[in-house]
Amino acid sequence: MPFLTHGSYRIRYELDGPADAPAYVLVNGLTQYAELWTAYRDALVARRFRVATFDLLGQGASDKPTLFIDQDDQVEALRLLIDELGDGPVFLSGISFGGLIALRYAIAHGTRLAGLVPMSCFAELPPQLFLLGNALRNALVLGGTSYLQDLLLPMNVSDQWLGPVLDKLDQVKRQGWLVNDVYALQNLMESFLDFQPLTPQLSSITTPTMILNGEFDFLTPRALHETLRVQIPDSSLVIIPRAYHAFTLEKPALTADLLARFAEDVMAGRWQGNKAVWIAPDDAGGALIPFPSGFDHLRAIPVQGATP
Amino acid sequence: MSEFFGPLDSEGRVPARQQTRVAAFLVSAHGALARRFAFALPVKLESAWQTELNAQFYNESEIVSLLMRATSWAPDFALAYMAAAWEAAWFPTPVEGIPDHSLALAVDLATLAHAVHAGIRPAALLPTEANADDPFVVALRRIEFESGRLLQAQILFLKGESLVPHRDAVTAALERRHADVRRLWREMLQSVDISARDANDGKP
Repeated sequence: MPFLTHGSYRIRYELDGPADAPAYVLVNGLTQYAELWTAYRDALVARRFRVATFDLLGQGASDKPTLFIDQDDQVEALRLLIDELGDGPVFLSGISFGGLIALRYAIAHGTRLAGLVPMSCFAELPPQLFLLGNALRNALVLGGTSYLQDLLLPMNVSDQWLGPVLDKLDQVKRQGWLVNDVYALQNLMESFLDFQPLTPQLSSITTPTMILNGEFDFLTPRALHETLRVQIPDSSLVIIPRAYHAFTLEKPALTADLLARFAEDVMAGRWQGNKAVWIAPDDAGGALIPFPSGFDHLRAIPVQGATP
Repeated sequence: MSEFFGPLDSEGRVPARQQTRVAAFLVSAHGALARRFAFALPVKLESAWQTELNAQFYNESEIVSLLMRATSWAPDFALAYMAAAWEAAWFPTPVEGIPDHSLALAVDLATLAHAVHAGIRPAALLPTEANADDPFVVALRRIEFESGRLLQAQILFLKGESLVPHRDAVTAALERRHADVRRLWREMLQSVDISARDANDGKP
């Protein structure tokens, strides 16, 4: 198990796939760990990508700073990992908290990236997300990791995913509970206490950017992704049908296919962001369709959009 | 060597030898915290924050009492010298770099409590097939759960405004305490054929 060193801390990472291939770097969400990207590793390596996964500071097998975890340290850990990949094209994707770290990396080191894919992501903390974050932190404090998982699971995945595992939820939660410590998760959550919105800096991201948002994501709803779409010049927003916040867990085949196609389009010179809004197919390999012209993609009912 | 207790008996109970060592370690650590909180607890509370001292003292005492009653104790002659090493590690050691002696001692107590409450996860040693109705199993789950809540007082204090000028000293002392407590916990577990799974254990 290789480690990067950042100060006195070690960051566990893994590289798979051919060393001379374009690379995909995948950044975990808050309560996740690198093994949750296994299906992505397999799918992307099969399509001739090199895949880099790692545990953020405070997660899984990486070191867990005892009292403070600064988001700048997470960005630095990510920089160290990307520096390991040589000079080839690098595509960076992250989910939720990991998407935020990816955004921060792109703002600071964007010229190193060939493409960026923020998923279930946000650049600011409006009141709903701020209060939800506080409530989730309180849940962790009062009820431990297991209670936090109890809240996140039904918020983040669909009935179709939950139904078959409803009688074995303890098994579903166990690995996440084992590898995550309350104090480390709390430190990760409290790294938002002095959070400043990234919105004013998003326009400096000039790399091609595909923003993925679950249709039914109410933890980080459409409006938060819209900020990214409007501010990042070469971006498109892709809505994943019938998906919630954690669609990377629920729809790995579709999401890995979208990641691969985005990178292939960028490398072939076919990518055109145009701040367009698309609807992803239900299954991997299907066609993306443009969001119907004239309708407001921020609404959940078919309302005519404002004339641009 | 497994990451979990075992092999369990036919009724899903943890071997008495493992119960004894783990419970003895926890009694030593939480007992030390109970003693130190008892010394710090005034007869008459004069500040709001001292109510937390009262809660910490009684919760630590409850953990000791629970373990004494829930554990299937087995004769273990090695415990004498192991316990001596543990007790020596809990001695008060004023944190370097904080000139106020009483504050340095308070930080030391908080770092020890943080390390025990955050770094020791006894329930994570239970395999999935452990008997959920066994008192020792329930006790470990309760201790880990309560530790997460007790920990909040240490986090509030160590991250608090009063210690901002001493942030580097506090962080260094806390990292050191965590390393010491994890090392003792890991060595004890290895003595009963359980391997530690904490990633931080590998730190130089």
